[in-house]
Amino acid sequence: MDFELTEDQETIRKAVVGLLRDFDDRYWMEKDRDHRFPEEFYAAVANGGWLGLTIPEEYGGHGLGITEATLLLEEVARSGGGMNAASSIHMSIFGMQPVVVHGSEELKRRTLPRVATGDLHVCFGVTEPEAGLDTANITTFARRNGDHYVVNGRKVWISKAVESEKILLLTRTTKVDEVARRTDGMTLFLTDLDRDRIDVRPIPKMGRNAVTSNELFIDELRVPVEDRVGEEGQGFRYLLDGLNPERMLIAAEALGIGRVALEKAVSYGNERLVFGRPIGMNQAIQFPLADSLARLDAAELILRKATWLYDNGRPCGREANTAKYLCADAGFTAADRALQTHGGMGYSEEYHVARYFREARLMKIAPISQEMILNYLGSHTLGMPRSY
Amino acid sequence: MEAEEFLLVRDMFRAFAVRFRIGSADEVKPTARTTAQEALGELGLAGLRRSSPPAATVQECALLAEEHGRQPLTTSLVGTVLLAPELLRLLERAEPSAHGGTPTIALAHDLRFPGSAPDSSPSRLLAWDCEGADSALCVTPDGTVTALELGATAPGIDLLRDIRSTSSESPARVLGRLDAQEYRHWQAYALVMMSSELVGAAGSFVRLSVEYARERRQYGRAIGSFQAVQHLLADATVLVEACTSATRYAAWCLDNESPARALTAARVAKAEVNASALDAVYTGMQVFGGIAQTWEHIAHLYLRKVRLGAMTLATTADLLTTLAQPELTR
Repeated sequence: MDFELTEDQETIRKAVVGLLRDFDDRYWMEKDRDHRFPEEFYAAVANGGWLGLTIPEEYGGHGLGITEATLLLEEVARSGGGMNAASSIHMSIFGMQPVVVHGSEELKRRTLPRVATGDLHVCFGVTEPEAGLDTANITTFARRNGDHYVVNGRKVWISKAVESEKILLLTRTTKVDEVARRTDGMTLFLTDLDRDRIDVRPIPKMGRNAVTSNELFIDELRVPVEDRVGEEGQGFRYLLDGLNPERMLIAAEALGIGRVALEKAVSYGNERLVFGRPIGMNQAIQFPLADSLARLDAAELILRKATWLYDNGRPCGREANTAKYLCADAGFTAADRALQTHGGMGYSEEYHVARYFREARLMKIAPISQEMILNYLGSHTLGMPRSY
Repeated sequence: MEAEEFLLVRDMFRAFAVRFRIGSADEVKPTARTTAQEALGELGLAGLRRSSPPAATVQECALLAEEHGRQPLTTSLVGTVLLAPELLRLLERAEPSAHGGTPTIALAHDLRFPGSAPDSSPSRLLAWDCEGADSALCVTPDGTVTALELGATAPGIDLLRDIRSTSSESPARVLGRLDAQEYRHWQAYALVMMSSELVGAAGSFVRLSVEYARERRQYGRAIGSFQAVQHLLADATVLVEACTSATRYAAWCLDNESPARALTAARVAKAEVNASALDAVYTGMQVFGGIAQTWEHIAHLYLRKVRLGAMTLATTADLLTTLAQPELTR
């Protein structure tokens, strides 16, 4: 058993920390307040060559694994950027995996190098009003018409759609009642987010306001066959490959928020004097923070195990799900306690923990709720009857 | 009952409880149990609700059940003094003198209400809280009340409460039938009395923990001066208050509202007690530290009573499932 990061991984971590120094809490507070995409941050990450971290070298990336990707995103979140920072680059870091694994050579050459340089922003279009976690229930339909498809439908909670040039779009090419298995008949595309055919409407929301979350209304969108990822009807299976890595990335981001929230709480607890002594001297303040440290450390270990398993080609469903569950919980709890430690000041945006709190809450819902993780562990890991 | 009269009854009961409470598990002995139960019988509490209208309200009976829960007593109050007599009272409205002797109540083999468990055949029923009892009354969901003879002592984790099997050799004797309203009243009454005893136990144990936190010194100061201990106990106090209020409200409903509404309140109360009373006892155990883990200490007697009590009559899962249903179908 080895708990040390490799030299390269440690280097990545330190380099990212150095890169992020220019983007302090004030930067993120203003971006969040003004609902503005963090272009300067995105450019710095892209110029540092980090966006292509997991994209294969032949397509302009570094070909590194999920372990490195989680280290990067944990540091990004921990820098104070939280989910605003993480979500602005999340898709580029690992979201292109279905294309890397299943896309045609031509599609990969056309898109991946541009993702790696940061030139191409991509969003992920899966969820719909009537199909959140029940992906097989999507109704956005792609009808084949010669050398292209015509797509109609509606998507919701599509992060970064406003800023994106392309969308990784899941559609049905066969209706759900015409397939043998509900997960059959779905097709994935990486195509242009054509504003003439797709109406993008940002959803007002509680937090992570520097990166939009959107509703998409797709009307007669023409998609060339060349933009199809892999085979027709296999889209759901291609997405499955990315589910565990996504859980791990989200876990790392939640962990990062928890870490920065805890750091803020500790320093406030040490500085703030009430009744003639630092409030951190009170056990009622100190113990919850110590408890959060223990929970974050434990959650980090299962995350490291999950990424190690994935990078070594081993099954990791149990660990990836557990990591997301524990990191989301530990991250949110730490943010909640940081807010409580700050008292009234915690409610002010000036102290930043309110922003962490709003963003950490999201991690218990997205991209999969804690309850669905328990469903997975209950039925897949423990072998108990499926309840839904 | 007039307030002064009830206070007299309560003081009399308290004097009994102080005299017969045990100091450790080693004091749980058959002869001592018998003596204590006989002393309880002499208080004449089984007749509190025999008159028409009953001399004591449900609320007053619930307060006595709370008192009984406060002390480590081996006596059967809930089973033989409160529940079985109430059942007979409900039956005797239609059929006087349905049953003699000192009955307690019979529960399913998992201690839930009969009919709740998949296998509730008479041979698998248990006579619950049966110290001093000579038979057990079983009420099935259709309201039928039967009397069963007692069998051998059954092992249980609650060292204070006697449980026995019911005899499979002699047939159950049908005593009568409760109508739907009476059956609801009976269930609500049973849930409230059980909850009250657990509330008393949890509240008393938290109070003992608070006293210990005041006296026990570490690092030159009382451990209760540490926030981490003090806040635990404050939280536990809140938990006890929550289940006390819910239970007393349910008792009030039995005196003042329809049986259906009382049953809903009683289910809410028992669900709250199942969770909160147990958490409060866990907290007390934590405050007592290592001493509470010893056989000599009374902590485990409270823990056993409340742990098993939280599963008795109705589990949280039973109650929440029922409460989640539309009111008309419950």
